[in-house]
Amino acid sequence: MKCLTAFLLSVFLASAGGLGAYASGQQDYTPPVGPTPRTPSGKVDFSGVWEKPYVPDMSKDGKGQKGQPDLPFTPWGENEWKTYDAANGDYTGACLPFGMTRSMNTPEPMQFMQSDKYLSFLFEQNSWFTVVPIDGRPHRTGDPTWFGDSVGHWEGDTLVIETVNFNGKTRLDTIGHPHSDQLQLTQRFSRPDLGHITYEVIVNDPKTFTKSWKNVRTLTLRTDWEMMEYSCEENNKSLWEGRIKVPKYKP
Amino acid sequence: MKTMHTVVVALLTIAAAPALSAHHSFSAEFDANKPVTLTGAVTKIEWGNPHIWVYLDVKDDHGTVQPWQCEGGAPNTLTRNGWSRTSLKPSEQVTIYGYLAKDGSRTCNLRAVTLPDGRNVFAGSSAPDAPKK
Repeated sequence: MKCLTAFLLSVFLASAGGLGAYASGQQDYTPPVGPTPRTPSGKVDFSGVWEKPYVPDMSKDGKGQKGQPDLPFTPWGENEWKTYDAANGDYTGACLPFGMTRSMNTPEPMQFMQSDKYLSFLFEQNSWFTVVPIDGRPHRTGDPTWFGDSVGHWEGDTLVIETVNFNGKTRLDTIGHPHSDQLQLTQRFSRPDLGHITYEVIVNDPKTFTKSWKNVRTLTLRTDWEMMEYSCEENNKSLWEGRIKVPKYKP
Repeated sequence: MKTMHTVVVALLTIAAAPALSAHHSFSAEFDANKPVTLTGAVTKIEWGNPHIWVYLDVKDDHGTVQPWQCEGGAPNTLTRNGWSRTSLKPSEQVTIYGYLAKDGSRTCNLRAVTLPDGRNVFAGSSAPDAPKK
């Protein structure tokens, strides 16, 4: 039976030409080779269009992704996780902001644009963006937001971005791992060569987890891609026809 | 033969596993325990975000033609993988492999398509994040 399965799989993959370019198109791509690029001021330059691993579940490993098994839930966090059912309401289905981690987790690419003062995250998913000061200034004060408040600083050639002041309405990933409004996110970016970014995201949320945990990923420079418009509201039939529910949030 | 059919469908599902969309959780709308195979004539394509939609007429067990609608991946990512809004054309006979919507309507999640010329192509949406807890 194993032989039959392997045979059928090979036949299917062999027949998946043309439109089936997922196998041939993306996997054939080779990023450019070269040294780590730098800005005129000497900082590592993260500019470019980047392919990210799709991470629907941050507790799992995947291609270009090292997950965190056995998430260290607090009792509150475990209850949030065990009682979550996306069928009762998934905010992303209503095109509400994904938040920082879930935006980084999507399969759609992103572009970084960088100056000495700012790093802009341009997410293709829903054409969202967030602009992060990276000149060492402290966090702003203000109302909590979907993407939180991010500031960055340099630790050698690693750019460290800390994000706080989340509104607590988002989920960490597509499968629905929870977090609270006490979430403190640390994202560490380094660029070991021209074609890759090494990315670490560290989740620290004392209400939801007993200790911090992290994912480690590799982002790939896509010189053959350009960012495309993504209007989430354009044809959101599943919401309009009532198959997706929206969580009820208090203002 | 039924076993063979099941294996083929399973392989199509496995081969289509790389998700092309993360707009919403799979389980928010579809049932991972209800795979479906539909063969019929394409009547319309909607090529827009957050998902493409393929409409087709399918004969039921009584020979009555029933309209179906199936949700595919995001057009941006499908474009990068070789699709276009004219990849499927009205009146073409196709076979769709997907999962049924939870609400019982004639709606499915579009995972893979067999084209009139026999080629199998990916159209994947969000199934890999189906909750496993």
